[in-house]
Amino acid sequence: MFGPVLLAAAALLGSPAETRKVTAPPPQPYEGVYQPRGVDELGLWKMDDESESQLARSRLVVRDEALTSYVKGVLCSAVGAERCGSVRVYVMREPSFNATMSPNGTMRVYSGLLLRVRSEAELAAVLGHEFGHFERRHTLQRFKAHRSGTDLLSWAAVLASMNSNPAAQRSFGDLELSVYGSLLRFNRDNEREADLIGIGYLNASSLQPQAAARVWQNFMAETEASAMARGLKRPRFDRVAYFASHPPEAERAAYLGALALPEGSSRDDGAVKYRAAMAKWLPVFLEDQIGLNDFGGSEYLIESLAADGWTAGLWFARGELFRARGSQRDLIHAAEFYAKAIELEQGHVQAHRGLGLSLVKTGRPSEGRKALQSYLSLAPQADDRQMIELLTSSLTETPQ
Amino acid sequence: MNNVICRVAAMLLALGLSTEALAQERTAVRQGFELKSGSGRRVIVFRPKVSVGAQSTGGLFEPNAEWTELARRNMNAALAKQQASLGNTIVEAPDASGDQALLVEEYLNLFDAVSQAVVNYQFFVGNRLPTKKRDNKAGVFDWSLGEGVRDLPGARDADYALFIFNKDAYGSTGRKLLQIVAMLGPRIAVKAGEHKGGAGLVDLRTGDLLWLNADFAMGGDVREVDGAEKRVKQLLEGFPGSEATSAPAAVAAR
Repeated sequence: MFGPVLLAAAALLGSPAETRKVTAPPPQPYEGVYQPRGVDELGLWKMDDESESQLARSRLVVRDEALTSYVKGVLCSAVGAERCGSVRVYVMREPSFNATMSPNGTMRVYSGLLLRVRSEAELAAVLGHEFGHFERRHTLQRFKAHRSGTDLLSWAAVLASMNSNPAAQRSFGDLELSVYGSLLRFNRDNEREADLIGIGYLNASSLQPQAAARVWQNFMAETEASAMARGLKRPRFDRVAYFASHPPEAERAAYLGALALPEGSSRDDGAVKYRAAMAKWLPVFLEDQIGLNDFGGSEYLIESLAADGWTAGLWFARGELFRARGSQRDLIHAAEFYAKAIELEQGHVQAHRGLGLSLVKTGRPSEGRKALQSYLSLAPQADDRQMIELLTSSLTETPQ
Repeated sequence: MNNVICRVAAMLLALGLSTEALAQERTAVRQGFELKSGSGRRVIVFRPKVSVGAQSTGGLFEPNAEWTELARRNMNAALAKQQASLGNTIVEAPDASGDQALLVEEYLNLFDAVSQAVVNYQFFVGNRLPTKKRDNKAGVFDWSLGEGVRDLPGARDADYALFIFNKDAYGSTGRKLLQIVAMLGPRIAVKAGEHKGGAGLVDLRTGDLLWLNADFAMGGDVREVDGAEKRVKQLLEGFPGSEATSAPAAVAAR
């Protein structure tokens, strides 16, 4: 049963020349919706059921049927309708790059993931990986491994403290490091297995499997842009840190690329459909991203979204990003970006507001006042109407 | 010496010991609050969240589906039985849906967080916040969920809300063995099992916490009918306006 998996896993370790030939195996025949077995799994499911019913009543969940069923559809297109039936998808309004799958079949897809992937194939790569965790019962395995590890350490701690010899303390320290190290390594191996299963789904689907590697390439580029804007050292993507929960990104990009079916590269990646499905939510997801105060990362994301052409929404988001950082030169740029947004879409209400506020602070109060007035005439019911009116009236009272 | 302290601290960490005090205050009533028995006030009860499991040797919570299900059933039955003796009209919270359900969920979580804060920063003597030290001397118990509680479903037709939480982790055999060995050998106190519970009464006009009874070392095995009754009795101990001798009467009435 594990034959093909082991073979492909061996390929991961093999020389690059060999890996090119071996692609991920197609998914094994589906064994049907599985039910929890044994005390531990039953317990985890029960706890998870509880947490899912809380999730169903959480305000973090994006309540948009069309969006949710679209995301579910993308998952189904990768793993097949049969497997897909055991999953409930919840789109969470959370700007980080993540998706999770818990033991009972609850899939949480973060809006930060939806903002970062560019096509159905890329989304399917991540969701297929998560489904792999579910199909292989990884949460249960991790729970058991964690339990045995901490059991061992507890006994060792008690025994070591009964021995006054410093060597006993040292070996306890060593044991602690090696137990935690092996637990973390176990996690990373789970991730590799899920990657392998995920790419297997993509190979067998009608989506382009090469997208999986692209997800990680884009993520590395974003992380680099973010580090650069903060003045940090260039991040390393090839090293495994002791506490790392996942394999390094460069490794993942490389083996995912190698495991993708070469013939699949001519398939559609569904980028156009994806863009259309996200259009309604893009401004919201971008707003949340800008709120993260990650200038480099946000700028990278906006620019990569604009690779398909700048829209009023993207110019506006860029204006908001620069205005939020708020130095004088940022405000001058921001005004420029808002103006471009208005050029493309006269009625972009918030762009008029941003333009006005930026101009007011950069020595152009009369133009700023005009922009703010057009903001208020476009949105007479605006929440901040009084504040804006106060601002504009103070501008008239002090003639320059 | 320092080295020894560090080592002990590391051991405690490895054993997953908590720093909660063994003996601490468990209950408080808001200053000036009094609820007379039979005063005809209406109290909404929000059904308790119950989770039951075991505690592994290393201190991990091991959820147990069967125990949780049993405990939930036992606790609900025990609660229904005790309600009659609380001295005022007890109403079950209406089944909420949509936005109302979201609101209930938020307030359940908020109550959990606030009662946790009360336990940590007022009941636990050694960890009292400066303001709470002062409050405690003056007999002041001042915590609130905010006036937003007015929007809870059913709040308009009631005066108070009763919130309950409960979490049990029974020490596994391994944990108990570890406890014994640690006590006999290096004389380290390892806690086996964790039994947290609390009940609080909230004013549905102001959101103020009127009464809280919270204990992180509760008695009664909730997996059994008798144990669950004992637990519920402990949870509702000192409930304002309850009839002091009601418990045996309730049993007799059965």
